[in-house]
Amino acid sequence: MARSATTSDVFNAVGEPPRRQILELLAQGERSVNDIAGALELHQPQASKHLRVLREVGLVSVREVGKQRLYRLNAGGLKPIHDWVKPFERFWSESFDRLDEYLKELQAQKKEKPDE
Amino acid sequence: MNDRTVSEHELLIVRTFDAPRELVFRAFAEARHLARWWGPKGFVMGVHTLEFRPGGVFHYSMRSPGGQEMGGKFVYHEILEPEKIVYVSSFSDAEGGLTRHPMWPEWPLQVWNVVTFEEQQGKTLLTLRGYPLNAPEREVEFFQQVHSGVRMGFRGTLDQLEEYLATRGGAA
Repeated sequence: MARSATTSDVFNAVGEPPRRQILELLAQGERSVNDIAGALELHQPQASKHLRVLREVGLVSVREVGKQRLYRLNAGGLKPIHDWVKPFERFWSESFDRLDEYLKELQAQKKEKPDE
Repeated sequence: MNDRTVSEHELLIVRTFDAPRELVFRAFAEARHLARWWGPKGFVMGVHTLEFRPGGVFHYSMRSPGGQEMGGKFVYHEILEPEKIVYVSSFSDAEGGLTRHPMWPEWPLQVWNVVTFEEQQGKTLLTLRGYPLNAPEREVEFFQQVHSGVRMGFRGTLDQLEEYLATRGGAA
């Protein structure tokens, strides 16, 4: 791991692709560490290490079921990312929605005044 | 989207418009068009300068519904009508000087953007790619993290959060 700050910050925690893959997998439902390691082709200790980072920033939580520990996505932990990303995503999606409407308007005008 | 072909520090947005390519391209090229659609819903756009040629500048301002004033600037590098526009984008002050975004101080000062327009059976496929330009590592990381979040959003993880927030009445 490059920086010690990684463990304390949600943004840094999702900076590494394997951790995002874990979150995407857990978005589909609870998984054990072995299921996660198997699905993502990681060694079990690597998977555990990523899960520990994700737990420390509150993105996943764990519960014991018999001998198994099941990990699940804690969607509320993503809120800081959501709050950051949303304005950016909105900028493009809303600009392009407006462009879409505007293009329709321009094409309708062209039909009314074909010589323009 | 297949993000295996996307590098980690890259912004990628793909969208299809139901309009001929020439028209979509013109919407990027003329001030009267840009002023009508550039920026999120409810924002009021002002186009100060638009020199749509290589080396030319597009300088605009934007007022949010809450009254916050923001400026931005493009410097065009390559224009290949009606296929491609390459420009460097920045936030800017009223005089066109480069600034930091007040909320995102770690946003790269300059972003290299490549927009391509492809014809697809009368429709236009627009692809926008962005990369931090001459940015220190922490800004590249920040850019990457925001876009990781955007990509996660596309896959539905953030949708799940939105549902979760909705069920809690926004009291997160």
